Amino acid sequence: MAHDRNGLRRPNDPPLLILTSLAESPKHGHALAKDIEAFAGVVLGPGALYGAITRLEERGLIEPLGAEDRRRPYRLTAAGSAALAEAVRDMRKIADVGTARLELATGGLA
Amino acid sequence: MNARALDGSRLLKWYPPRWRGRYGEEMVALMEDVLDGQAPSRRLRLSLVWAGLRERGHEAGLLGKTAPAVERARAGSLLVLCAWSVFMVAGISFAKITEHFGQVVPARNLALPNGSFDTVYVVAIVGGLLVVCGACVALPAFLRFLRDGGWPSIRAHVLRAAVSTVVFIGAGAALLGLADTLSPAQRNGGLLYHPVVWYYLLAVIATALLAALALGLWTVAAVVITGRLALGQPVLSVEAALAVGLSVAMFLMTAATAVWWGAIASSAPWFLQGIRPRQGVSAFSPTLLETIALMLVACAIAGFGVIRVARSWRDLRLA
Repeated sequence: MAHDRNGLRRPNDPPLLILTSLAESPKHGHALAKDIEAFAGVVLGPGALYGAITRLEERGLIEPLGAEDRRRPYRLTAAGSAALAEAVRDMRKIADVGTARLELATGGLA
Repeated sequence: MNARALDGSRLLKWYPPRWRGRYGEEMVALMEDVLDGQAPSRRLRLSLVWAGLRERGHEAGLLGKTAPAVERARAGSLLVLCAWSVFMVAGISFAKITEHFGQVVPARNLALPNGSFDTVYVVAIVGGLLVVCGACVALPAFLRFLRDGGWPSIRAHVLRAAVSTVVFIGAGAALLGLADTLSPAQRNGGLLYHPVVWYYLLAVIATALLAALALGLWTVAAVVITGRLALGQPVLSVEAALAVGLSVAMFLMTAATAVWWGAIASSAPWFLQGIRPRQGVSAFSPTLLETIALMLVACAIAGFGVIRVARSWRDLRLA
């Protein structure tokens, strides 16, 4: 699910999800959509998925491989790996602070 | 429905052609995988319309930051030009509404209506001059474009706009001829029981629509032409500055129009109803309200264009 029942948004930015998925291995559109749904619970429609793929390719963060029967896989570039690493570091910082403060407040996470 | 029979060209028709050429096939393949033989839902179709329009916005430099700064500045400036065209339609309406107000409003109350009207008038001239300046700045690039054989790619747009202008001028001349046969009261919409007054009103509406059509087609031609010109960074910087000035002009004129309405409402509301002076007359005028609404729409479009220009400004200066 993209949102939990308290309305707190989880990181569901399509470019970030695509980069995370491609960090495992190159994938084409349908494989990307299925993987993202499996690990993040986010269903990306074709329009949102290809909008994000277009922007990521324009920024040089992903690149296409040879087409396989009209299905073209994409893989991370070095710049894409660096961008993902930076985004993950930022998210971890927030997660670490949140975790530490919760432990202070409640004496441990449930 | 066969999965292979998905009509990709229809589903992706809202996307720009260049995008379809690059991503179309693989996106249709994705949809075939996702749908697995089912027909696309209305929700999916709508999401594709939205995504396609967004992609067109990106390609035109109106959305996102991936387009080069020069393209973003150009797109923002052209958006302001489109806003000016919309504003001109509202301006024509305002000119018609305000006809002869100086003869009706008591002289002691004329200062504010006159001042606000003159503000609209003078700022409109300044705005027109800014547009002319923008055209002059781009003229050398336009001449280079023509010398390099660019005419065939813009011919259809220019001819459409020229033909619509000729039709408008013809209709305007016919309208003037018809107006000469009417009394002042008939020209102002009085004596509606007379058939010729109805013909005259229809002719006025038709001529106004033709004027708006000609204006719109020239705007489209200007956008198409400017989109194809090789404009350098200095030229685009000047165009961007002119676009900002033009937007300020539109905001000023909208404010002055609202002031004019307020002034007339307090001093001579009967003028807005087209009746003789008397007490207790409403100052509400649907036509004036529509005119100001159109001005606000133009201002909103111009505001979006100016934000686009401003955000690309720094990159443009560094380019």
